[in-house]
Amino acid sequence: MGTEPVLVVHGGAWAVPDEFAERSILGVKNAVKSGFAVLEMGGSSMKAVEMAVQALEDDTVFDAGHGAVLNADGYVELDAIIMNGKTLAAGAVSCIRNISNPVTFACSVLEKTPYVMLTGLGANQFAKKLGIPQVPVEELVTDHAKAEWEQYRKYKKTTKVHDTVGAVAIDCEGNMACATSTGGITNKMVGRVGDTPVIGSGGYADNLVGAVSATGHGESIMKVTLARLILFHMEQGKTPEEAADSALHYMEKRVHGRGGVIVVSKTGEWTARFTTKRMAWAGIKEGVLMYGLNPGETIQEIIKPHK
Amino acid sequence: MKPVIVVHGGAGRIFKDREEGARSGVTRAALKGYSILKQGGNALDAVEEAVTSMEDDPHFNAGCGSVLNEKGEVEMDAIIMDGKNLASGAVSAVKCIANPIKLARLVMEKTEHMLLTDHGANLFAKAMGVPEIPGEKLITERSRERWSKNLEDPGTVGAVAIDNEGNVACATSTGGLTNKLVGRVGDSACIGSGGYADNHVGASSTTGHGESMMKVVLARLLLYHMEQGMSPVEAADTALNYMKTRVGGLGGVIVVSNSGDWAARFSTKQMSWATVKDDQLQYGIYTGEIHTSSVAEALESK
Repeated sequence: MGTEPVLVVHGGAWAVPDEFAERSILGVKNAVKSGFAVLEMGGSSMKAVEMAVQALEDDTVFDAGHGAVLNADGYVELDAIIMNGKTLAAGAVSCIRNISNPVTFACSVLEKTPYVMLTGLGANQFAKKLGIPQVPVEELVTDHAKAEWEQYRKYKKTTKVHDTVGAVAIDCEGNMACATSTGGITNKMVGRVGDTPVIGSGGYADNLVGAVSATGHGESIMKVTLARLILFHMEQGKTPEEAADSALHYMEKRVHGRGGVIVVSKTGEWTARFTTKRMAWAGIKEGVLMYGLNPGETIQEIIKPHK
Repeated sequence: MKPVIVVHGGAGRIFKDREEGARSGVTRAALKGYSILKQGGNALDAVEEAVTSMEDDPHFNAGCGSVLNEKGEVEMDAIIMDGKNLASGAVSAVKCIANPIKLARLVMEKTEHMLLTDHGANLFAKAMGVPEIPGEKLITERSRERWSKNLEDPGTVGAVAIDNEGNVACATSTGGLTNKLVGRVGDSACIGSGGYADNHVGASSTTGHGESMMKVVLARLLLYHMEQGMSPVEAADTALNYMKTRVGGLGGVIVVSNSGDWAARFSTKQMSWATVKDDQLQYGIYTGEIHTSSVAEALESK
């Protein structure tokens, strides 16, 4: 007798333009299937969220890994976090360069060091020591990200505000995990770190309550320590949906910031909620894939008959 | 509102020969912060002043006197937070500046961001005209000795305050862990872990085993307990006990509530701390140790 596994992913809470809509939906569906395959075979929630986020990092339609945006100096600087709900162990990296899959590197920080967070040059040196391949920045930067950066430099504004990717899961043993990854915001200051790698803000996982991955206006998410706040609400008895809405509403009222979250509880209930215009998300549980992009939208697909 | 300031100079092992220096360092910092509050100054300025005093004091693991990373260099983390609007500024892995807490404040006030790291933090410091100092100036005999012998650390410095308008603030600063991997960032740069301030509840600053504090998001957890009705002492003890039982980590916290109650609690053997409230100074290092004197007396003896 085990727990019914659940995996939920998001591709960023922001005003996803129409020209990206279809690819974003395809991207989250693809990633949730990749991650869920791990859970189906009895694999761990840690491995599942890592696989799902890797798939999202490799997909250039999302702002993480490949497809990340450029900072003020024209470089790609990446942040990521992964957390184990059983032990509360976590691995996070901030401002790393030239690495294809920050979430996998974050996992190495968790497994191979006594630390939770590594940053910048030191993090990159450690990656080299581990033999993680360094990829040239050209490989991570899409023409689109470059064009956007140039537009920002010229006109001091951009219509596209890219965002983060993430996943949460509960496996058949009831263990929970979360992972979040980002390339940040266009033309950010060199060395700017947002919510993503900050434990309790960009993500949090605790077998006693649930797991959360957050996306949206990074600074606002940090001010309210959004991921941890949602779980506090759930500790008080709120459902994932009530907790998410409460916290997002508080963030909007108190610090005027918008965002989105995916949440799974220790009993396998889950939700995807956002206060931005759109958020691509997808979740699988009991043979059913659910996904959406627009507010209030939920589309369902049966992917296998549930026993 | 009667203003209150509480400071700590780190939880951990304080060697006997360092005790006097720790006690006098935290009392000096608390008195400095309090004089700002007494003159009607705000909580943010008070905590910045108190932490700056301890960063400049080579007895503490912050600014000058910071422990060394595996390469024998100083890399520092710091955070400051304003309880009024939840604004915050932080730096991680910053080098060659005397006062990381001042740079953290500049991040909060002069940028749209909340955390700058590594090279980017140093670029920003330069842009702000913050003087770059040679790394050696931050290194003391003691920190070199600890590094070569790989000794345990006394932790971080921090301060919390409430001013006469009822605004709360927190500040935390550290050199991190002796022999840490280059680029290792601890709780002190992470909002919710190293510190948190919210006018609706109170402000907290933490010290101890960084990774454990991050795993339980200690500062935020403590304030959450207070939101649920616990007193500062109950909240601090509950949070520290949870950290010990859940992840096996020890540490210390200082906290002030939005009604001016305060606590300085620790699960380690020692934590140097000091507080001033109602013109009265209190301080200690060991569990149960509390010395009291009036501010006037304390200033005279200095």
